[in-house]
Amino acid sequence: MSAGTSTVELTGVGKRYGRTRALADVDLAFDRGVTGLLGPNGAGKTTLLRIVATSIGADSGEVRLLGRDPSRSHADVTAVRRELGYLPQELGYPSDMTAFGFIEYVAVLKEWNDREARSQEVRRVLDAVGLADQASVRISRLSGGQRRRVGLAQALLGDPRLVVLDEPTAGLDPAQRADLRRTLSALGHRSTVLLSTHQTEDVAALCERVVVLAGGTVRFDGAVTDLVATAVGRVWLADEPGDDALVSWRTGTGRHHVVGGRAPVGADPAEPTLEDAYLLMLGPDAHRVHTPS
Amino acid sequence: MTTGTEEWHADPALLSRYLAGNLDAVTGASVEQHVSRCETCRATVGRLLEPQLLERTWAGIRDGVERPTPPYPMRVARRLGLPEPTAVLLASAASLRAAWLVGAFLSLSFATLAAYASDGTALAPFLLAAPLAPVLGVAAAYGPRQDPLEALVATAPYGRTRLILLRTIGVLVSVLPVTVLLGLAVPGPPWLAAAWLGPALALVPVLLALAAFVGPRIAATIVSLAWSGVVLGSTRALAPTWPVEAAQQGVYLGLAVAACAVIAIRAGTDRQPGVAL
Repeated sequence: MSAGTSTVELTGVGKRYGRTRALADVDLAFDRGVTGLLGPNGAGKTTLLRIVATSIGADSGEVRLLGRDPSRSHADVTAVRRELGYLPQELGYPSDMTAFGFIEYVAVLKEWNDREARSQEVRRVLDAVGLADQASVRISRLSGGQRRRVGLAQALLGDPRLVVLDEPTAGLDPAQRADLRRTLSALGHRSTVLLSTHQTEDVAALCERVVVLAGGTVRFDGAVTDLVATAVGRVWLADEPGDDALVSWRTGTGRHHVVGGRAPVGADPAEPTLEDAYLLMLGPDAHRVHTPS
Repeated sequence: MTTGTEEWHADPALLSRYLAGNLDAVTGASVEQHVSRCETCRATVGRLLEPQLLERTWAGIRDGVERPTPPYPMRVARRLGLPEPTAVLLASAASLRAAWLVGAFLSLSFATLAAYASDGTALAPFLLAAPLAPVLGVAAAYGPRQDPLEALVATAPYGRTRLILLRTIGVLVSVLPVTVLLGLAVPGPPWLAAAWLGPALALVPVLLALAAFVGPRIAATIVSLAWSGVVLGSTRALAPTWPVEAAQQGVYLGLAVAACAVIAIRAGTDRQPGVAL
């Protein structure tokens, strides 16, 4: 990779599925560190990640991964795939394989041909996701969270420079999420990590940078703290739900958390969270699918 | 029971020689007996051992426990020189497991028996089953295109097309020899044992080309129905060997060439390199 180019460079990238526009004119560049993609369902997160993972091609625009154009030649796309770790959104597991067997199978597809080195690497990634003790258990007997971690483990094979994770935290309990955060932040020191999630807390805890997508376009791209800062002065704790608030809900203390609109009478300004900022950023678009918990 | 041996400890020099295998059989056996009972000497042995040796041994033990045992046909193929990574890839294909191969062998045997019992007048079961065994095997090894695991296969450097071709070859190599042998037992003209190979080898590329568009399951159904139609249709008025006679073989060859051309064109025009099938 020559100096001045990013690990991932997308310029004017568009993608359509039939008459549906999944991505429109997206310009993004990613480098070392963890970036979170946020957005309602259908915002184009998965499409973007699939393009970066060389799973699908873009209809228009330019895609450069690790300094190469993956659509140029078989050699280019293979060179990118050698340094790529990918966790698809929905990963089917052959139910009769063990965790070790499944990851070993993926390792062979990733050209780990030496048996001894491959075994070591399979154990290393199983260790990294906390599944060392479950190596010989059939995948059909693992819990949903454990299966998700098997999927994550295969994406870590070979310490790839580019790691693409589509909803890695789905189905994990809080303790497993915390473990995952540790694994990913270590990975982010060496690699370019792109992940999508519906959980704003995951982004707040994990990512230095956040990209908000809606309707196939980029609504925000910047530091997590900068996104939170956009909501300062627009979030309150009040005794009444706001009349023209974007969203408001009664909290455990009996007061209402009011996001957007005018300050209700007697409202106290509240420290905005990433979720507040995300909801304000999307405005009414967020409403369709996202309900605050 | 208190004996003197519990107070006595082997000196490190003796233990080193024991670990290096430099003791005679009797001394070695008694040191081993002692070490198995004496905690102090076991600890000394632990210190004397090289950590790398321990690690290698432990890795070997874990390998034995954790690494899945390959299916029987794969173990045979490994002994015949199949590379180990290739065996790992083939082992995950359902139709390369013993159960599938035994099933294919049994159905072909019954077809052969039927031909034998009818003294060569009922060739249809054999001609029906023999070319379809590799076709169905390939379809089963292929995995559905929409299978979520395929997203991983497609983005791995090994590549989906290469994996499909590897499995196709694996199925052909495992199914064809048995079918050729059974074909020799079928009464009728001697060329019959080889003649069914024509449609068998033609139907496989047709299946692969179709599967690229409609998925392996529908493709396998179309190919099976078409071939059954040819064989059963011929039993009404034509000679039992009609489906595999020279003129028809030409048609199969033409189909195979056309199917290969479709696959090649798709490989060249597909937007995403490496996803031809």
